[in-house]
Amino acid sequence: MSAASGPGIDVADYRDVWVFVEQHEGEAAPVSWELLAKGRELADETGESLVALVVGDGVAHLAEEAVARGADRALLADDPVFEPYRADPYGEQFRALVEARKPSIVLIGGTHTGRDFAGRVAVPAHAGLTADCTELAVDEEGLLLASRPTFGGSAMATIKCPAHRPQMATVRAGVFDAGEPAEPTENAADAVESVEVVVAEEDTLSTVLERVVGGVVDITDADVIVAGGAGCEGDVTPLVELAEALGGEVAATRAAVEEGWVEPARQVGQTGKTVRPQLYIAAGISGAVQHLEGMNGSDVVVAVNTDPNAPIFEHADYGIVGDLHEVLPALTAMVREKQEVAA
Amino acid sequence: MNDGWNIVVCVKQVPDADDVTIDPDTGTLNRSDAPAVLNKPDHNAVESALALRDAVGGTVTAVTMGPPPASAVLQAAVAAGADGGVLLTDRAFGGSDTWPTSLALARAAEELDADVVICGEESTDSSTGQVPPGIAAHNGWAQLTYTESLDPRPDEGVLVGTRDVEGGYERVATALPVVVAMVFGANDPRPAGLHRKIFAETEFEPVQWTAADLGIEDRVGLVNSPTKVGGMDTASPVERERTRVDSVEALYDHLAEVL
Ligand SMILES: Cc1cc2nc3c(=O)[nH]c(=O)nc-3n(C[C@H](O)[C@H](O)[C@H](O)COP(=O)(O)OP(=O)(O)OC[C@H]3O[C@@H](n4cnc5c(N)ncnc54)[C@H](O)[C@@H]3O)c2cc1C
Ligand SMILES: Nc1ncnc2c1ncn2[C@@H]1O[C@H](COP(=O)(O)O)[C@@H](O)[C@H]1O
Repeated sequence: MSAASGPGIDVADYRDVWVFVEQHEGEAAPVSWELLAKGRELADETGESLVALVVGDGVAHLAEEAVARGADRALLADDPVFEPYRADPYGEQFRALVEARKPSIVLIGGTHTGRDFAGRVAVPAHAGLTADCTELAVDEEGLLLASRPTFGGSAMATIKCPAHRPQMATVRAGVFDAGEPAEPTENAADAVESVEVVVAEEDTLSTVLERVVGGVVDITDADVIVAGGAGCEGDVTPLVELAEALGGEVAATRAAVEEGWVEPARQVGQTGKTVRPQLYIAAGISGAVQHLEGMNGSDVVVAVNTDPNAPIFEHADYGIVGDLHEVLPALTAMVREKQEVAA
Repeated sequence: MNDGWNIVVCVKQVPDADDVTIDPDTGTLNRSDAPAVLNKPDHNAVESALALRDAVGGTVTAVTMGPPPASAVLQAAVAAGADGGVLLTDRAFGGSDTWPTSLALARAAEELDADVVICGEESTDSSTGQVPPGIAAHNGWAQLTYTESLDPRPDEGVLVGTRDVEGGYERVATALPVVVAMVFGANDPRPAGLHRKIFAETEFEPVQWTAADLGIEDRVGLVNSPTKVGGMDTASPVERERTRVDSVEALYDHLAEVL
């Protein structure tokens, strides 16, 4: 594969903001719509078009939904070779589209699929790719300013890509707001363009033998999160019950996820989700920088920890030194009691 | 392919992240002159490489790109059981972002006639996870990121990987050569054996390659890196009350204000 662009390209040839609409079996990943809403803002600022890139098998409805949600146009590559996702056919298709259409900015979700895809496609395009951005803006010249936390969250680095195109960024789920869902309008289909599929099954390098995916919870929308860490010591019932009483969701540190106590989709932090609930209760969590990065935007943070010197207390509004297996059930009982009085 | 596989494992030297904390008042990093160590997720890469060699035979070669002191991570990999190590070092590599970094590693993998290249999930200092798919893309090879476990089928020349996909898993069969990125924490790295450790410290010498050795002297470094750091801002520390409460009742009262 040769470089499609690089130093010496005319960046003026490249225009428009593209959003990769990640989907699995025809269902869009929520981060896709979050990026589409952000992409709309960026495109309005640069005065360019917002283009949704929809790749899959039988996914015309997603292209139409993207238009209904604010894309000026959607490019649709619809073929059985694209289901389920594989890096090499997706990468080839993207390379061909970038060569032919020259987008200036491309936004991709920071999911496992999105990062697998972004890393692959940035190379043949010789594009600049910034991972895990938490802020996106454009400067006076229309250059993308992709900002991400660095040095464990103590600084924000702003990355630019002056001489290469496209300017690519991945963004974790939950960083931007998806806006309102929209039903495709009658003429949405007119803004959808089917593109030529450039990959054939016999040229692919991999075969998906089996794919087992359950319903994926989305903790990024929750107003209340009760998160647990290694301090749960295998028993997450206190988290579940408090979350239930407060109408919230359970989340966890990477440590608790690795132990298998909590499912991976509920991991908060650098390699998990970014959440911004009104209330974040951190129980049995030490407060590692990689965890803080995913929850520092919460309105109110409560820490429950047996160690009075745990770093999490420095990053909490209210802290209580104690065993979570006692504190949380007591709190749950109190919440339930007041609810009954109120009812 | 009955004489086993050429397995290349990519290891990176990073500042030790373990003692790193954020000062809640200034929002700056307390780094206590963090010593350089082997990127934590790469321990899982090394373990997978060794386990793969146990299963199919062949050799494990550790590769790192960095300044000469980075050869310490090659030594660590050899102590763990790798057969050899290659240091990609050259002033020309200075300022490389993930595009040239993955090019250098891709060229080295080609040079080593790799069947399988194994990487970590991401590096703790740059945490992009872009290098492994970048290596695969530069060489036009298959890739398996977020891999939990590997199931080699040497008779068919196929590697099957179980990938963590959000909400579940998938099993993917790939042609060789393939670039794998192991999930951080996917396995329990074996401890280094005493004899191997002594060998690594006293006898092991890494092979050294420059950019010119790899034929990429005009394609690496700052000028060939698409991304530029346009600015650094101290992230303003999040203001927190930091109130200690000593009873669940008191805690509930504070929460009642929020809810
Ligand atoms: C590349 C990389 C990426 C990472 N990404 C993430 C990420 O996305 N998210 C994440 O969370 N971590 C991440 N980590 C891991 C992170 O560095 C920490 O190891 C992890 O957050 C620690 O989890 P913990 O707080 O649950 O466990 P620990 O640090 O072990 O803390 C457990 C805490 O529980 C307290 N405790 C013990 N028993 C009780 C009890 N009965 N009641 C109350 N408190 C109790 C202890 O005092 C302690 O403070 C990452 C690490 C790396 C290297
Ligand atoms: N300079 C390097 N030398 C060797 N391997 C590297 C280097 N940079 C990244 N890698 C590999 O790529 C993985 C992902 O790193 P990154 O893309 O930087 O997050 C690491 O876990 C390493 O296995």
